[in-house]
Amino acid sequence: MTQTKHDFMVLGVNHTTAPVLVRERITFPGNQDGAVTRLVAQTRGIEECVILSTCNRAEIIAAVDDSEEVSERLIQLVAQIHGLGADSLIPHLYVKRRSDAVSHVFRVTSSLDSMVLGEPQIVGQVKAAFKRDAAANATGPLINRLMHRAFFTAKRVRTETGVALSAVSIAYVAVELAKKILGDLEQSEALLIGAGEMAELTARHLAGNVRKPIRIINRTIENACALAAQFEGTAEPIDRLFEALTTADVVITSTGSCDPIIMFSDMKAVMKRRRHKPIFIIDIAIPRDIEPRVNDLDGVYLYNIDDLQAVVDENIGERRAEAEKAGNIVDDEVRKFMNWNRSLEWAPTIVALKNKFEEIRINEIGRLNGRLAELNDTEREAIDILTKSIINKIAHGPISFMKQSLKTSRHNQHIDFVQRVFDLNSFVSGSESEEAQISGYETDHRN
Amino acid sequence: MHLMFFKVSAIFYLISSIIYAAFLLRSKGTTCLSGFCFVAAGFVTHTSSILHQFWVLGFFPMATPFDAISLFAWGVIAIFVALQFWDRNPVLGAMAAPIATVLMLVASTFSYQISQPIVPVLRSWWLPIHVSFAIAGNSVFTVMAMAGAMYIFQERLIKRKKIGRFHKILPSLETLDTFNRRALPIGFFFLTLGIISGALWASSAWGSYWTWDPKETWSLITWFAYAGMVHQRLALGWRGKKAALLAIAGFCLVMFTFVGVSLLLGGHHSFVGLCRETVLS
Repeated sequence: MTQTKHDFMVLGVNHTTAPVLVRERITFPGNQDGAVTRLVAQTRGIEECVILSTCNRAEIIAAVDDSEEVSERLIQLVAQIHGLGADSLIPHLYVKRRSDAVSHVFRVTSSLDSMVLGEPQIVGQVKAAFKRDAAANATGPLINRLMHRAFFTAKRVRTETGVALSAVSIAYVAVELAKKILGDLEQSEALLIGAGEMAELTARHLAGNVRKPIRIINRTIENACALAAQFEGTAEPIDRLFEALTTADVVITSTGSCDPIIMFSDMKAVMKRRRHKPIFIIDIAIPRDIEPRVNDLDGVYLYNIDDLQAVVDENIGERRAEAEKAGNIVDDEVRKFMNWNRSLEWAPTIVALKNKFEEIRINEIGRLNGRLAELNDTEREAIDILTKSIINKIAHGPISFMKQSLKTSRHNQHIDFVQRVFDLNSFVSGSESEEAQISGYETDHRN
Repeated sequence: MHLMFFKVSAIFYLISSIIYAAFLLRSKGTTCLSGFCFVAAGFVTHTSSILHQFWVLGFFPMATPFDAISLFAWGVIAIFVALQFWDRNPVLGAMAAPIATVLMLVASTFSYQISQPIVPVLRSWWLPIHVSFAIAGNSVFTVMAMAGAMYIFQERLIKRKKIGRFHKILPSLETLDTFNRRALPIGFFFLTLGIISGALWASSAWGSYWTWDPKETWSLITWFAYAGMVHQRLALGWRGKKAALLAIAGFCLVMFTFVGVSLLLGGHHSFVGLCRETVLS
């Protein structure tokens, strides 16, 4: 008998393979506590798995047996869970195996496969999914190792390349800029004038960084109140505008006004009252809410939506270049992981070989026990050392043969061959000792 | 042997200058550990150099331009090292390390002191006190000017909406302005003590506090300039770009008082005669 061979597999849909209409139907509902993952993990042919579901992707990452049918079975299962026909799913699905699957998991975790390249949320999402499924007992030594290496790779990508350095959404760029002007923002005061999707998104991003409640000013106080409730901020009428400008540090304006609401002369007076404390103004409105000349005032930093978009575009270009470097890191880590993975295939055989030799040694010494009775302890010890060194020397040949063959494509036959030559069938045991071995290797290889 | 520690630290500063320069030109990160390690190593050997001199000579040698400029470089680096606990910005290192390197090179062109000065006036405890305060003030104002230059650069990038790599490496405007606000009174305090200690020393040596010697005059001008800055900052709330520009202008004045006056205008602080004496002695 040869040991069961395992393989890694990824099956899923993402923003490049499936339209939103399909993606929003594949969400693995009811998986908050990992129940669905457990169900999948109990499928025949699947040993361990993690299910990742974000707005841009849904994936099953699994350690499976070596058979071809297992992907078929998984597709059926996914279709069944979501009440869809398998045929309608298949055109949007990707199935990756072996090193492709490992590489995919590493790339996803490192945010190289994200819609917004390098966005930082994905690591957290993968970690959460893994934590949930590990708690649900759906993972084991293989997936645990795979995920840990994925997190390690993501960390390397983050620290060794600039992929994550530059912000690529307008809201994010705005907050980063605010930090470059005003420091860590904790003590800053944010002011939102008007409403609108972009403005609210930016304000929400800011709200995560400032400690004081956001002040919201609107021509209609009801709208201001509604927004204030959303952000846990305070609503104020429009006639408090200039008073608010005197204390605010970050201002987002987005009104529907046809003429600018803040003119150069207004702002000049405001700056005097602020004692020239710097102010960062983001004008999202079209047409503009603020006279562009205001930017010339000392201490005023006025950015409109086009300025921010230009920063975003520049950052995206920068990230692309860095992504190439990140790709090399991923390849490097995939290679290391696959070496470890292959080492699992011969590990049980090596243990079996050593066990067999040791058994022979113990038996033979036992058989001679009567004739060895006259020996004293030192002599017995010498015999022990001698016999041990003999079996180690003999075992060395086949072990290095197997390790060498890892580099060739025929290592499976070679392992099989060693097992037959030394008649190891009864020694290569079931999955229990294999798992012990794997976890042993895991501690050995941990970084 | 006297100069071994000094030379080693000058080499360390030079290496870190190169590392920092390369970092600014190429790297994407926001910290430059290797550059800092060399600065720190240079700081340790430089400190050893000063202590070694003290140990060998039995007094702190401060009477020659060599010692004063070397101490100046040490002061700038000491402030930079201390600032690492606050903000690990590589741009500051990229300015401090080359400045220290240049100062070390300038210092090494002067002859160093190997025995107690011949001139009786210089055999006084007022010498180390006066020089230390004056150099401490100069060092603080130097780093303040560096922060000012960084502020103006960063401010221009933000105003002109040119958000590139430098924008990301440079500290925030708030950080730089906070440094200016905190450093200004400290530097001013040292400058004041330097002038007062000089006056007291003059009184004990020549019996007169103030003789309108060129160095004294220019120190007073510098003092008024910084007093003005402190006033503007505290009373009128000047900050940001104006404060940064003033820090740079003040630094130019400090440098003129420190170097220019001795070279161009002569007076008590002219080292010309002194050097010859120490070399000969």
